[in-house]
This record gives sequence, structure tokens and C-alpha cells, in this order.
Amino acid sequence: MSDDPIYDKDAATPDSWAALATKQMKGLAPDELTWITPEEIRLRCLYTAEDIADLPYTNTMPGMSPYIRGPQATMYAGRPWTIRQYAGFSTAEESNAFYRKALAAGGQGISVAFDLATHRGYDSDHPRVAGDVGKAGVAVDSIEDMKILFDGIPLDKVSVSMTMNGAVLPVLAGYIVAAEEQGVGQEQLSGTIQNDILKEFMVRNTYIYPPAPSMRIIGDIIAYCSEHMPRFNTISISGYHIQEAGANAALELAYTLADGKEYIRTAIAAGLDIDQFAPRLSFFWGIGMNFYLEIAKMRAARMLWARIVSEFNPQNPKSSMLRTHSQTSGWSLTEQDPYNNVVRTTIEAIALPSEFAARIARNTQLIIQEETGITQVVDPWGGSYMMESLTNDIADKAWELIEEVENEGGMAKAIESGLPKLRIEEAAAAKQARIDRGEDVIVGVNKYKLNHEDEVEILEIETEAVREAQLKRLAEIRATRDQASVDDILTQITRVAGGEEGNLLALSIEAIRRRATVGEISDAMEKEFGRFKASAQTVSGVYGAAFSEDQGWKEIAGDIDAFVEKHGRRPRMLVCKMGQDGHDRGAKVVATAFADVGFDIDLSPMFSTPEEVARQAIENDVHAVGASSLAAGHKTLVPQLVEQLKKQGGEDIIVIAGGVIPRQDYDVLYDAGVKCIFGPGTPIPQSAREVLNAINQIQGG
Amino acid sequence: MAEFDLAVLRDGNRRALAKAITVVESSRDDDRDRAQAILEQCLPHTGNSIRVGITGIPGVGKSTFIEAFGLHLLAQGKRVAVLAVDPSSPIAGGSILGDKTRMEELSRRQEAFIRPSPAAGALGGVAQKTRETMLLCEAAGYDVILVETVGVGQSEYQVAGMVDFFMVLMLPNAGDELQGIKKGIMELADALVINKADGDSLNLAEQTRRHYKAAMGLLRHAPHWEPRVTTCSSIEGRGVTDVWSMIGEFEQAARECGAFSARRDNQARDWMHQLIGEMLKARLRNNPEAQRLLPELEARVLARELTPYTAACRVLDCL
Repeated sequence: MSDDPIYDKDAATPDSWAALATKQMKGLAPDELTWITPEEIRLRCLYTAEDIADLPYTNTMPGMSPYIRGPQATMYAGRPWTIRQYAGFSTAEESNAFYRKALAAGGQGISVAFDLATHRGYDSDHPRVAGDVGKAGVAVDSIEDMKILFDGIPLDKVSVSMTMNGAVLPVLAGYIVAAEEQGVGQEQLSGTIQNDILKEFMVRNTYIYPPAPSMRIIGDIIAYCSEHMPRFNTISISGYHIQEAGANAALELAYTLADGKEYIRTAIAAGLDIDQFAPRLSFFWGIGMNFYLEIAKMRAARMLWARIVSEFNPQNPKSSMLRTHSQTSGWSLTEQDPYNNVVRTTIEAIALPSEFAARIARNTQLIIQEETGITQVVDPWGGSYMMESLTNDIADKAWELIEEVENEGGMAKAIESGLPKLRIEEAAAAKQARIDRGEDVIVGVNKYKLNHEDEVEILEIETEAVREAQLKRLAEIRATRDQASVDDILTQITRVAGGEEGNLLALSIEAIRRRATVGEISDAMEKEFGRFKASAQTVSGVYGAAFSEDQGWKEIAGDIDAFVEKHGRRPRMLVCKMGQDGHDRGAKVVATAFADVGFDIDLSPMFSTPEEVARQAIENDVHAVGASSLAAGHKTLVPQLVEQLKKQGGEDIIVIAGGVIPRQDYDVLYDAGVKCIFGPGTPIPQSAREVLNAINQIQGG
Repeated sequence: MAEFDLAVLRDGNRRALAKAITVVESSRDDDRDRAQAILEQCLPHTGNSIRVGITGIPGVGKSTFIEAFGLHLLAQGKRVAVLAVDPSSPIAGGSILGDKTRMEELSRRQEAFIRPSPAAGALGGVAQKTRETMLLCEAAGYDVILVETVGVGQSEYQVAGMVDFFMVLMLPNAGDELQGIKKGIMELADALVINKADGDSLNLAEQTRRHYKAAMGLLRHAPHWEPRVTTCSSIEGRGVTDVWSMIGEFEQAARECGAFSARRDNQARDWMHQLIGEMLKARLRNNPEAQRLLPELEARVLARELTPYTAACRVLDCL
């Protein structure tokens, strides 16, 4: 018997709580409140001391292995995180002005987003990229663009983060030479280049070469930088894009760490010692809206990374520390009722790409750092029954997936088999089904919708003007350089790519000095490496299974049966991606869901031109083409597609557009002849119904 | 829909060929009649291509092989049509056809035509329609017709029965007996091609080749052609040219001894007889008198009152 008058220790047990909870819930056991997360983790409504009694790492210290509580002893109490904003505004001039302003307003580093043509190693004058120049970031063709980009920014003091994976050699070389011409030596440069090609093969698709030569490039970069650029992070292993593609937290965690392990193997194969490069590896997580799980994910990540690195016998403790930066998820941001995004980014602690939005995002973080006191305590979750338990659960889930990849021979091999991509696409289809059924709530999209959406200020890009300016600068540089010396270095690059002794980054730096362009350097390697072609694998049945009992779904399926009766075949739609925009999650989810309800779906190769898509549509004799656009190419590419269909005799093939398309552009597209437009958040059954109706209308159904 | 115009199809108009294929593939009865009318117009212009069937288990790299092989054929000045047959029959829903994503270069070329066909569902085999589509492609002037199908069902047998040269793609792993490919299909193969003979798998591919060479030696084959077993790498492009010269050798040998046209004659005859069987069944299905009699006759057969032979005669008498 306890002698504390207000606490009876013997009575306060999990069992007695369960009895009390059941009574309060009028007979419903607390187990009924357990939420099974997409990762298949059981998140219960109460955790107690019993839950963590047998866990191995509940009493660790920050700054000490396995680093669950953080790689630094004092973490944000000692120094808050660096605030950076990802931005790239079409031209080097505009981006430069933005960086200067952000630095003056309290930003602590800069982050460069490149345009789609640059990512894929094409100069702005390449015929395949007419619609992509200046889209989703800054167009960079040569050292002249790089010099403007970093003009007046002291590269010995400001750390620079560059999101680049495909054309990583010419871009990194351009940054190095821009610094050099500013008088800043390589050893003084600090920052990060993403250089995480493995995830590109799984999700974002901004690769150039096949996996094997791509990994060799990474080996060359790590080897060069560990010798010449000790303060520069050569790789930022990214889970962010994996989450953005629809993966759940366990998949994001597992595949990112498995990518990391493969990079370690690559660097070791390039002749480096683990301690020479592992301390310079950094990670990049996406932070979604599931508050507890996201925190558990980051805690588990540090422990699992320490476990993975330990297999390579590091001597320097820094080799095992997982350093990271995080970005709030773009997935959770919505087009509908966009000011809700301010609240969302606060919880996730970046937003729509206007200057106003950029300020809000920056200030959100400054307020968290400087007003709330959140940073005062290191790992405030340590010892929480729930958080320790959840950290352990998600670590176990992720480890199983990592082992599955290891059994395939590591991530590079697993990617060839396509298993990771399929698992992510399965998760994405399941997630879309949950959102469309209202099981995952997104305020303003599938619940508490606004009756009328206000117009929002959005940055307009005058692509044609951007492209003209780039073409002019390219012509100038080609007219004024020593062509023989450029040809000579490009030949050397091709030879080294083919197996001669040499480091491709060192050669790329020399090529940039001699005024070779991003496209030329990329081509010189492509001669040996070839361009990678993605093969489309698709899941089926995952989306449809969630709707098997849904009345609306059954009605569409029934109407499709009637269509087959009338027309002798199923309604057939070509789902396409045009231009250099590699985000294919939306296209894949639409493809699998439409097939599940009864459409026959054709897929176009990635990076097709409107002319090629029109031809594919005609050859396969489809009723409709669905163009998915997530990178602002819609205003040029989609109208061109309509034109091409007419030109090639397919005027009865209707065009549908979907993806990130601002409301104010809808009329332009409708005027061009587009029949339906589906913004983010359109439930797929609704779009399937509208597409079927539109096909029926033109086919005389 | 616009009327079929043979001159436009012969002129190489992509739209005309695509639309004619749609009519052939249609499950509507009146489209069957239209399709036959189109095919009859085309018939005098058919038979001039070499028809090649390609099968293999999922993941063996059929599309990647066709991309490399097709590009090689274009370089030889050929016009190439690729017909991809999806044998799957999803319980609900349609097909997802991603063939072009794996034949990116080929799909951009003017001299190539790639048409994947969705699963046909319950009615009729999709492969059956491929025979007719092949005739349309020949009339449209394609010199080489590649028919691709995944080797997991019955469709590969049907494909073997409609082509001049039939090959099975394999993976380099000698140990796995037959890799899920049925023995019957090996007997029909004119060649086994071990794909992905590159990188770490080079030696394994050679071992696999010897293994199958020995196994194939035990099977019976035609006097003019002993089935070959070769290796190739679609990614590196190695061995792909050899496959084309092998087909050339085969064609020459088969033509010299008359086996080439004999095979086509047999295929046409088999096709006709197969159709007779299928159409008879279809007519019986649609004959009310036969449908009425069937349960009663069945019962009497089970009761040993009638022989199955007599019962069958009575059903046929309804026609």
C-alpha cells in the first residue's frame, strides 16, 4: 500500500487503465483506437514504461554512438540549424538577386535549383528541350551563367547547396571555376552537391547515364573532393524525393540508407578509406505531416546509419554520424486553399515559389528558432515511452527492407531488378487511394473544402525570353573561345570515360575553364556511357482494391462495360510525360488506377516531345492522351501536343492535362483544345468519370 | 469512322494502319465483317515479310532486345513492325501497356511501327487477331514483323504457330532447369538466345549456352535446320547482329528445301481448321435449339441412355 495520498502506485497499471478507458469509451476497448500506419506500425493511444523496458537504446547520450539522440553533444541548444531556401528563378541574374536579398534578410546559405534542361545535360539550344529552359530552376549552360549566378556572393564564406544529380560533373566544375575566377580556392569552398543518382533511378528520373557509369562518376567526385575540397559535402543522400514519390516513412528510411551503403562501397572501390569520405556524407529527409512518425524516423536513421557504417570498420567516430538537412514535404502542400500551407510548413518546420511565400517560410523557421525556445533542449523526446517505442518499431521495419535490398546484391543491382521502384509505386497507389477515399485527411482538399478559391500570386516565367537570352550567351561563348583547345579537352573526357586513366571531375574543371558548355561535356561522356532508358514497370490492383465496394467506382466500371459493348474495345488512353520533367509519380498512379477501373492504358517513354507523343497516340489508336505536367511545361508542351495530333491526322483523339497547373492557366489550355484539366487533389474516380464522358462525347457514346 | 482505303494504307499512312488494326481487334460482330472485307483487299499484298516470334519469361529483356534488334534492322534498310501481345487476362480492369517505354529509340523512328495489344478478355484469343494484324502490316509494306509475347501462358504456342522463325530468350543461369519455360516450347524454338550476356554474367552466359546446346541436341529437329543456341547483350549491342544473320541463314536453308512455304501453308491450313472449330462452337452457342437440347442430352449421356457420339450428332443436327 502506498502512503502517497494522491498516487496509488499499485492501482495505476496498464490493465486498470484499459478497464477505465473501455468504460469511458462505452465498451470500446482501447485497442480499437490503435491506428495502423501505412508502414504497418501499430500506433497505440497509450504507451507505458513496459513498452520500453526491453529496448536496447533507451538510455543513450547525444554526441555518442549510436547517435539516436543526435550526432552533436549539444545539438540545436548549442547552434540552431542553418536555414536555407531552395530557389532558382529561370535566369542567373534573377536567382542572384534573390540569393543576395535572402542573405541580407537572415538566410545563412544558398540553395540552387537548376532548370530541367541543365539537369539532363542539355544546353539551352538543344532541340529536345525547347519547352524546358528556365523551368523549375535556373538555366546554366556555361561558366558565364555560373559567374552571374554567384556574382557578389563571397563563396569562401557562404555555403552553397546545389540540387544536381544528372549533370553533376559540369555543374560542380562550373561552381569551382566560378569561385576560382572570384579568387577563392577549392579548399575554401563549403556546401553540398546532391549527387545522389541512385534515387533518381527510383523516383525523380533526372539521370543521364546508366547506373554503372553514374556510380563511377560519383567515385571520381568523392576521390577528387576528399583531396582538394575538404569542407565540401560530396553527396546528399536523399530520402526527400522518395517520400515525395509516395513512399511511406519506412521505405524512405530504408532506401535512403541502402543508397548510402552503396555509395560507401563505390568510394571504397575507388580506392578511398572509409574515414576519408564518410564524414562528408550528408543526408536529406523529407518531413511529412505525421508528426510522431517523422521524429521517430530521424532518430532511427541515426542509429541505423551507425550500424551500417560500423561494418566498414571506421576509426574516426565522425564517419558513423548521420548529418542531415530536411525539407518540408511538397506533397503535403496543397493547391486548394493554399494559405493552409503556412500552417503546414510550421508543423513540418518552404512554400509556394513567390517572394512573399519565401519570406513567410523563412520567418516561420526564424520564429521557431528565436522565439519559441524549442531549440533549448537536446532531443526532448528522449525517454518518451511512445517515441522510444516508435523509434524501435520503424528501425525494425526499415532494417527488413534494407536486408531485402542487400539480398539482391545492394542498391545498384536492386535498381536493375526494379524492386524498389515497384515498392514505392505500390505505396504511392495505396496512399492516393487513402486520400481519394478520405481516410487520410487533407484540410481544404478532401475535407472542409472552400466553395470559392481565391487566385494566388504565382511567379510567371517568360520561357521564350529566357531561352533567347541563353541562346545569345551560348553563341557568344562559342564565337570567342579557342575551339581547338575545347575539342582537345572534350576528346580527353571521352577517352577517360572509355577507360583511360584520369579523373572526370578534374577534366571537367579544365573543360569549363576552356569555356566548354554543360551540354558538350555531357555529350563527351555520353559517347562512351550512353543515355539511360527507364523501363516502365507498373503495379496493378492496389488502387482498385481499395474501391472494390465503392458504388461510384462500380458505376464507372459498368459504364466501361457498356462502352466495350458499343465500341468493341475498352476506352484507351495514352499517359505521357513530355519534356525533361521526370516526376512520374502522378502519371504512374493515374495509369494504375485507370487500368484498375477498366481503361486500357498505354505509357509513353519518359522525356518525349509533343510530336513523338502524338505519333504514339496515333500508332496505338487511343481515344485520349493524358499529359501529366509537374514542372510548368504545360503552357507550351500541351498546346503543341494538340497541334501535332491534328497535323498527324488524330483530331478525334482528345487531350487531357493533369498535375500542377495554376488555375489562371486553365483558360489558355481550354482555348488550345484541351478537354479536361485535373489539378492536384482531384480524386481519381472523378477524373476517370470525366475522361470517360469526354471520350463518349466525341466517339458518339 | 472513315472508310478503309487500301491505297492510303499501302502508301504507309500510320493512321490508316492503326485504325485498320483497331477494326481487326474489335470484339463487335459487325466489325468482324468489316475486318474481313479489309483483309480480303489486303491479301494480295501480304506474305512478303519475314515473321519472327520472340518469347521469354518476364524480365528476360524482350523489349530491350527488340529495341537493339529493331534498330539494327533499320540500319539494314528494313521497315519493322513490332506487335506486342499481352496474354494476361485481368479479372477486372484493363491492361497497362508500357512496351514503347522500353523501345524508346525504335518508337521514334519513321521506319518502325510498334503496336501493343491489350488483353482481349474472355472473347477469343488476342493472338488470333495478331495473325490478321500481321497481314495488315505486310500490306502496309513492313519487311520484318516481330511478334513479342511473354512466355507464361498459351500465347507463345499460338505465336510459334504464326511465324517463320521462333526464338526463345533466356537468362544466363545454367542451373535453373528450363527457367519456367515449358519443354514443349523448346521443341518449337528455332533458336534459344541467351540475353544479358554482359558484365559479370559473361561466363555464366557461356555455360548456359553449352547447357542448352546439349539439351537441344536431344530434341528432334527438321532436316534443314538444327536449332541454334547463341548469346547476346542487348545493352551492349553484342550478338544482336548475329541473330539477324542467323535468321538469314535459316530463311535461305528453309527456302531452298521448300520448308519455308510449306510451314506457311501448314500454318494457314491449321488456322483455317482452328477457326472452323471455334466458329462451330460459336454457332452452337448462339443456336437456341442446340442450347435447349444440351442439358437434356447431357443428362441422358450420364444416365447411359445415349452414347456421347449420338448426342453430339443430335446437337450438330440443329445447325
